[in-house]
Amino acid sequence: MSEPESIVTLSGINKTFFRGKEPIHVLENLALDVPGGSFEALMGPSGSGKSTLLNLIAGLDRPTSGSVRVAGADLTKLSDGQLAKWRSQTIGFVFQSFNLIPVLTAAQNVELPLLLTQLSGPERKKHVETALRIVGLEDRMDHYPRQLSGGQEQRVAIARAIVNDPKIIVADEPTGDLDRKSADDVLTLLDRLNKELHKTIFMVTHDPACAERASVRRRLDKGALQ
Amino acid sequence: MNVTTYPSRNLFRRRGRTILTIIAVMLAVLIFCAIRTFIVAFNAQADDAAADRIATRHKVSITMQLPKHYIDDLREVPGVKAATWANWFAAKDPKERIPFFAGFAVDHNSWFDVEDDMQVSPEMLAAWKQTANGAILGDSLAKTFNLQVGSDVVITSDIYPGEWQFKVVGIYTPLRKTVDRNIFLFRWDFLNNDPRTVYSKEHIGWMVSRITDSIHSADISKRIDQKFDLQDDQTMTVSERAFALGFVGGLAAVLKALNVVSLVILLIVTLILANTVSMSVRERTHEYGVLRAIGFPPGQVRNFILGESLLIALAGGVAGVGLVELVINHALGPMMEANMSGVFQHFFTPRWVLAEALAAAAALGLVAGGLPARFASRLKITDALRRVD
Repeated sequence: MSEPESIVTLSGINKTFFRGKEPIHVLENLALDVPGGSFEALMGPSGSGKSTLLNLIAGLDRPTSGSVRVAGADLTKLSDGQLAKWRSQTIGFVFQSFNLIPVLTAAQNVELPLLLTQLSGPERKKHVETALRIVGLEDRMDHYPRQLSGGQEQRVAIARAIVNDPKIIVADEPTGDLDRKSADDVLTLLDRLNKELHKTIFMVTHDPACAERASVRRRLDKGALQ
Repeated sequence: MNVTTYPSRNLFRRRGRTILTIIAVMLAVLIFCAIRTFIVAFNAQADDAAADRIATRHKVSITMQLPKHYIDDLREVPGVKAATWANWFAAKDPKERIPFFAGFAVDHNSWFDVEDDMQVSPEMLAAWKQTANGAILGDSLAKTFNLQVGSDVVITSDIYPGEWQFKVVGIYTPLRKTVDRNIFLFRWDFLNNDPRTVYSKEHIGWMVSRITDSIHSADISKRIDQKFDLQDDQTMTVSERAFALGFVGGLAAVLKALNVVSLVILLIVTLILANTVSMSVRERTHEYGVLRAIGFPPGQVRNFILGESLLIALAGGVAGVGLVELVINHALGPMMEANMSGVFQHFFTPRWVLAEALAAAAALGLVAGGLPARFASRLKITDALRRVD
């Protein structure tokens, strides 16, 4: 059986921030290959550069130097506009604090990324219903975020992440704000998305129990992968 | 759902703040329209002046009188079709039912031939010619004084002493909105024959001519003035528009200042709106980071904010225009026309001023939203996502 092709390839990545004039090297000469269809967890202490690495993979930030190839695109060569379009088509985001828009219903929150596509209203509605059915919230379509539990909010966020059928889902501490039961539900859902829909999932977490659910676990410390 | 759903829902996130800002815009639009209406109404008579009417007055001042025989000389000038004259009476109502109204002593044989936008019936004109102390009043003044044809009326004057008794022989109606409906007209010969006017006997205030060709108004005016150049009393002939502007000319600086005030008010409300939008953007920085992360380009985020600012401004603008209709066009306007028609014959906010106010509201919405929108669209996504409010 042949090795699955890499969907994420990072090489020679350096990322330096400046606090005043003092440089802080967050990532140093980092290399990473993530095979397509994998479910990876990235762990590490606070300040180790986990979120920075996630941001680079998701096209939210650019490296100081090095190459970032994700889903066939060299992200360092894309303009901000091209990067925004690429993100809308390639990446699904799941955040720790759900980040739903409070003035929009669950269905409208899920529909948001589809406003960037050419889909018609009825087509968008169909996609939204499918995404909410996958996360088991088809009966909560017209609920506002404040009317949902934390676990339900995160499932709506996952529906928003998958509604445009992205190749990769990046999750930043997706269970950080949830109780154990809700966290299990969310992880089960991510596992299903990986196994049934073959989504590549790259998850940052502090929680070893959460990382256990991933098929690959990596550890980042002082800007380098262990 | 469409791209307008998000900005329109955002309006209701801080209901109190949004409502207060809308009220601020609404009041600014009301004041803006009131000032513009005041200026338009002030200039209305001049703007609506007949092109084929010219007025001749003493060259030194309108307060100085001309010899009566000038009217005969003027009528001989080529291009003058008809001419009439009038004297200012400085009329006052002894019962003080109205603070100001114009009282003119006019030539009863020719006045309505020249001032043909005041309509009277042939029967009224015939009665006037037979009644030395006959008076014809504007319909609004007759209503205020509760007078009908046949009534007796007493008025006083700031120039001539004593009480002046008249019999109402007619009531004129205006054929144009800018015709003063509060004028009190009586016969010049009645005034001239009264012993109280001995010092102004056989003198007239000004002359008004109807000319054959309005295109040559300037040439005809010049010819009239040349005719009296060598007389003791020289004249100045101007278009009816210039004549009307002469009365408000002294207030030109005040009107200009009012114009500036109306713009300053718009500037102040722009700053208020900009503050509201800035606060909203600051509170939602994290949210804009999320939108950018899921693929919304900077321009779209900018449009969300501009759209929200525009919606607030337009809501205030529409409410303001509604208030203008209610307060100015249905309450203040009729009151001004009834009590101050000597100055404001037609106090009404025209449609173009309302359109101007709405356009100004839209423009201030875009200007006020401009800076916060630029700030939000240029935010680094990772910085925005880190922001917690």
